[in-house]
Amino acid sequence: MSISFRTVSHLNEDQRDALAEIVNIGMGQAGAALAQVLGEFVILSVPRIRLVDSQAVPETLAELVGAETTVSAIRQPFHNHLHGEAIVVYDEHGCRDLADIMGHDECTDERVEQELLLDIGNILAGASLKGVAEQLQAEITFSPPSILATHVPVERLLDPEALDWSYSLLIEVNFTLEARRFKGHLLIMLSEDSIDTLVQDIDAFLESL
Amino acid sequence: MATKVLVVDDSAMSRKMMIRALPEGWDVEVSQAANGKEALEAYHAGKAEVMFLDLTMPVMDGYQTLEVLQKEGLDCFVIVVSADVQPEAEARVKKLGAMAFIKKPVNTEKVTEILKEYGIL
Repeated sequence: MSISFRTVSHLNEDQRDALAEIVNIGMGQAGAALAQVLGEFVILSVPRIRLVDSQAVPETLAELVGAETTVSAIRQPFHNHLHGEAIVVYDEHGCRDLADIMGHDECTDERVEQELLLDIGNILAGASLKGVAEQLQAEITFSPPSILATHVPVERLLDPEALDWSYSLLIEVNFTLEARRFKGHLLIMLSEDSIDTLVQDIDAFLESL
Repeated sequence: MATKVLVVDDSAMSRKMMIRALPEGWDVEVSQAANGKEALEAYHAGKAEVMFLDLTMPVMDGYQTLEVLQKEGLDCFVIVVSADVQPEAEARVKKLGAMAFIKKPVNTEKVTEILKEYGIL
């Protein structure tokens, strides 16, 4: 573990830059998929990358997502070459906007709401991670998405005790719909044992340029 | 005389990839900028006859950069290079005066094709 930590604390400027760009290309594909499903123009953010101690995950989430509203979220674990969790977080507007776009009256029916969150989350997480894996020539497999929580304060979204690792690499990107208040955050949490693998992949990628 | 080329991207790696994708033998003088603000400075300093412009950038993004260029009476051949592959993104930048749109990751063939199409190469 101490070895991993040393490596990561030395994630140098080039590696960080390469990772952000690789994620950027992955999320571009996810944004296009979302735009097609919703028929709306999607605005993409610049990726944010953090190395986070598991105990600090709740406050980091609040910083990245904003703590103003309650949120709902889905999780989709991934494994194989890289292992971690993709989490898609929606604020309250997000849910209502999605229901509206998809032609539902309100976000009142719990089953309908959860289906929407899962479907859209699956598109964002799946397309982004697939795009990242492709560029790194890595194989990633996904577990099916599931509901993490609905209508909770952002600090309560993830219990640090329930995480499988003591620290992780956290990558955040967000998708906004131009004509609405919708905002969805995609968080990719890479487990501590996958961070070394990722760093090696990035080095190989940089060398191939 | 060498063509003045400006490569605009917040990622240093991405700029490097773009510069490496420029066709071999094309006589160019390359400058770089990390956001739209820096790009406009370089443009005003006469360093951009051809501009390769990223869209998603901090400080000033590609759309905002194009808006300013358009207002000033665009005197530069802008090719947008972006990971944002929504068809609407391409339509918008073309409305703002960009001549062409290249999807990331870039490759020499695509860049060459576009430069030839517009008689720059």
